[in-house]
Amino acid sequence: MTDIQDPKDELVEHLPAMRAFAQSLTRNSAAADDLVQDAVVKAWGNFDKFQVGTNMRAWLFTITRNTFYSQYRKRRREIEDPDGALAGQLSEKPAHDGRLVMSDFRTAFDQLSDEQREVLILVGAEGFSYEDAAEMCGCAVGTIKSRTNRARKRLAELMHLDEDEALEMTDAATLAVVKGSTAA
Amino acid sequence: MAKIRKADSLDKQIDDNLRRVYSDAVNEPLPDRFAQLLQQLRDAEAGRDTAEKNGEDTK
Repeated sequence: MTDIQDPKDELVEHLPAMRAFAQSLTRNSAAADDLVQDAVVKAWGNFDKFQVGTNMRAWLFTITRNTFYSQYRKRRREIEDPDGALAGQLSEKPAHDGRLVMSDFRTAFDQLSDEQREVLILVGAEGFSYEDAAEMCGCAVGTIKSRTNRARKRLAELMHLDEDEALEMTDAATLAVVKGSTAA
Repeated sequence: MAKIRKADSLDKQIDDNLRRVYSDAVNEPLPDRFAQLLQQLRDAEAGRDTAEKNGEDTK
């Protein structure tokens, strides 16, 4: 009680991120909360294995994704009731103002594979390094990099956002810069 | 450096949207069940500690 701060006290700070990560894995809020609960219980029972001073969020995310792959992925096929209106058609092309339509983005994201959603959240949203993500997922750094690239590409396809279109949006800026640089 | 790669622009858009969707989820209020869960885990632990100390007054 009077000794150094219990690392378990820090767990609560990571719960919102664990829920967000779990939602992206399960694509179902109820299943996500069950997954987080299971992961918290596991973490609690293994806190002696957590190395104080290392990244607790990475540790908790690792437990969360391992629990998902070992228990939830199988179960989900039986339920198959994602609340993100998964199979819905994307409504239309995104507006040409550089912003994607949010609901379309979520729908497209939900259509990615488990591994693709996972890597995009870890690297793209949480900002873990490729090295950290590789350690968390138990695979090589190169695998994480190529998986991230493929996931982004697939997402762009699902959003009907091909590279030509992105070019179209930045055409003026690109031309200006290219012209400027060739003059030098 | 002066050349804007089209794929980079696309990646940036995707990451911007990823972060937006993700931070929406992170900012959702935490359901009560998690506060209760942590309390239960603490109580169970305290109960074990007390049992191990065999009657020592922990209050």
